[in-house]
Amino acid sequence: MNFTWFHRLGSPPYTYALARRLTPWFAWPAALLILAGLWGGLVLAPPDYQQGDGFRIIYVHAPSAWMSLMVYTSMAVAAAVGLIWRIKVAHAAAASCAPIGASFTVAALVTGSLWGQPMWGTYWQWDPRLTSELVLLFLYLGYMGLRAGIEDTQRADRASALLAVVGVVNVPIIHYSVTWWNSLHQAPSVMRLAKPTMAASMLVPLLMMLLGFTSLFAALLLVRLRAEILTRERTSSWIREALSA
Amino acid sequence: MREFLDMGGYAAFVWPAYAVTFAVIGLNIFWARRALAHARRSALRRLESGNAPP
Repeated sequence: MNFTWFHRLGSPPYTYALARRLTPWFAWPAALLILAGLWGGLVLAPPDYQQGDGFRIIYVHAPSAWMSLMVYTSMAVAAAVGLIWRIKVAHAAAASCAPIGASFTVAALVTGSLWGQPMWGTYWQWDPRLTSELVLLFLYLGYMGLRAGIEDTQRADRASALLAVVGVVNVPIIHYSVTWWNSLHQAPSVMRLAKPTMAASMLVPLLMMLLGFTSLFAALLLVRLRAEILTRERTSSWIREALSA
Repeated sequence: MREFLDMGGYAAFVWPAYAVTFAVIGLNIFWARRALAHARRSALRRLESGNAPP
């Protein structure tokens, strides 16, 4: 197999230009999918037979929770690539993931607690799923704090990458917390090996939101990655070209 | 319309959840664009001052 594409991605000017070209290809589908998902979730989907219209929180809660886990996994993979092959662009990508993931973890926690109050009778419970998701937020914050605390970029890259990679054990714990322990939280109805347990009219808008949020993440990551590369790159020749283009 | 806004009595939970999520989306777009604009400005400054390290 030919790995030249991988080597090219390690080159800041190449990745900068590629990120710029690709951004609209993720940003527009994200906007369209999220708008369509909103319409489907708020208007077209019927009320749930047990939770009434309260279940519609799922269309913002599940995508936010998905983002919190998917962004963390992407960050850990990028950090591992950066550690193993010493690729600066990979470290830049990992650093770009953290604020995105942290903010969507907050969204997942807040929307979840707004769902918990009417359905479980409480905003918060020290339950395995809720607690492990809160730990995820602290991992993101710890990662960002560690980076902010180390002035030398290379040292910050290595130290924070180690934290990101070790912290990835929390991802399966969050996902399986509802099956391993007795949790208030319901079991997965979409992210499972068997068929989803939702009616199509409810499921399709949810899939659109999940896909839309994922596409949004890609667009945000590409913009942030360009900022990171510009901040790190000190060779003037290609930056002059890139900025005048 | 009123019925829609009422969300079957769950309005006090559904709408804040949507508001928080879309605020997070909006902030992310704003932060990412601001980070890029900021990085471009400082890169340009470095180029103009002519002391971009090799």
